[in-house]
Amino acid sequence: MERAAPGGIDPVHVPFGHIVANEKWRGSELAQGMQGKIKLVFEDDLTPVDFYLSSRSCILFVTEAELVAGNSYRKRLVRVRNSSNLQGIVIVEKTQMSEQYFSAMQKFTVLDLGMVLLPVASQMEASCLIIQLVQEQVKEPSSNPFLRNKRAQISEPSLLRTVQQISGVGKVKAPLLLQKFPSIQQLSNASVRDLEPVVGQAAAQQIHTFFTQPR
Amino acid sequence: LANFCSRPQLVGTRASLQAPREDQRACILVDSREVTSGAEVISSLRAIHGFHVEVCPLNGCDYIVSNRMVVERRYHSEMANSLHKRKLIGQIQYLQNLFERICVIVEKDREKAGESSRIFKRTKSYDSLLTALISAGIRILFSSCQEETADLLKELSLVEQRKNVGIHVPTVVNSSKWEALQFYLSIPNISYITALNMCHQFSSVKKMTNSTAQEISMYARVTQEKADEIHRYIRCLFDVHMLPDALRPGRLRSPVSSAC
Repeated sequence: MERAAPGGIDPVHVPFGHIVANEKWRGSELAQGMQGKIKLVFEDDLTPVDFYLSSRSCILFVTEAELVAGNSYRKRLVRVRNSSNLQGIVIVEKTQMSEQYFSAMQKFTVLDLGMVLLPVASQMEASCLIIQLVQEQVKEPSSNPFLRNKRAQISEPSLLRTVQQISGVGKVKAPLLLQKFPSIQQLSNASVRDLEPVVGQAAAQQIHTFFTQPR
Repeated sequence: LANFCSRPQLVGTRASLQAPREDQRACILVDSREVTSGAEVISSLRAIHGFHVEVCPLNGCDYIVSNRMVVERRYHSEMANSLHKRKLIGQIQYLQNLFERICVIVEKDREKAGESSRIFKRTKSYDSLLTALISAGIRILFSSCQEETADLLKELSLVEQRKNVGIHVPTVVNSSKWEALQFYLSIPNISYITALNMCHQFSSVKKMTNSTAQEISMYARVTQEKADEIHRYIRCLFDVHMLPDALRPGRLRSPVSSAC
């Protein structure tokens, strides 16, 4: 049956905003849940994949029955894991009946294979989740709050706080020191004689000791 | 999506040459807030798994399982309720500034005595939160109780150790080191474990402040990018005029205004 080399998975073309579904899902509750909200294209010969969200990411759906039956689902997962340019997301039907097998499955999928695993209670829930996954893929990355670029922060308040951690230096001495020795590095290299005119003899000695003392 | 395979690092190659010492038990740092909310997680880690668990003031990072990974423990109800969403997003963004890798453990809510088990309706808000986390490469694990959470933490810690990023410095510091630790912790976007590594790996604070970015990366066990950020901070020049008014000391007003 397989056209590709053992373990190899043929690349699949997925039009923008579509899902390519394995023929075996035609007429299922899962497919019906998605139809009307998203365009489904059914194709033969997609094994081991159930759905393609794009040419690079796919979904493996592990049913309640499959999970209860044993470890046969693992072979499918490994095949997708081993294909170099395909990101596999595993959706598993976690019900009262299959719950007890979930923990072992999660360890295998997430910790051993490093794949993404999402439990759902039913095929209906899975269809909502898959639609959400497609929407996440087609929208601008910047609309994801976890992918936003970091803002550059002004360092001055932090620098004050850092210098105040040196024993003997408080709110008054910290800005005086930073005006004379404007970076932490320059301050760390100041000699007691350099420091004395700014903070006095005792504090100068304390600061010097803080930086040079072996820890 | 982020790849979970370990990147070869300067630190990793060095560490791999030394076999881990026999007596060195795996270590996990726990935020002091978790003592009340996750007592069973902590005792399971200690009693069942024989882990060295150190409770530290981690400032809201629930569990640190390696030099680069933090674990955030959340109840399912918190994830599903859209009212908590903004707070959770803020927390994850905060962790993203500190750590290279983040894992969220979604734990089933505990049933209080006399309360019938609540049925969670899966919401669109919950699904969109999960998918946003996934596409940012944040790992998600699901747990049914605190004992299972402890088991997952153990597994995560072991995976990280196999990748040579395990915690291998003493977690207790003496008073002289404690002073330096507080100093390192005040560097922006630095995690507790990074500050701890600095404490133990640099013979003096001056040694650290004069290090190259590459040395910082090696001794503090951080990525080159993070090391560059720290290196820039140590060398950045202070300008009193960039301070917010509230922090500006009265006698340091600009010469123009004092002349008036």
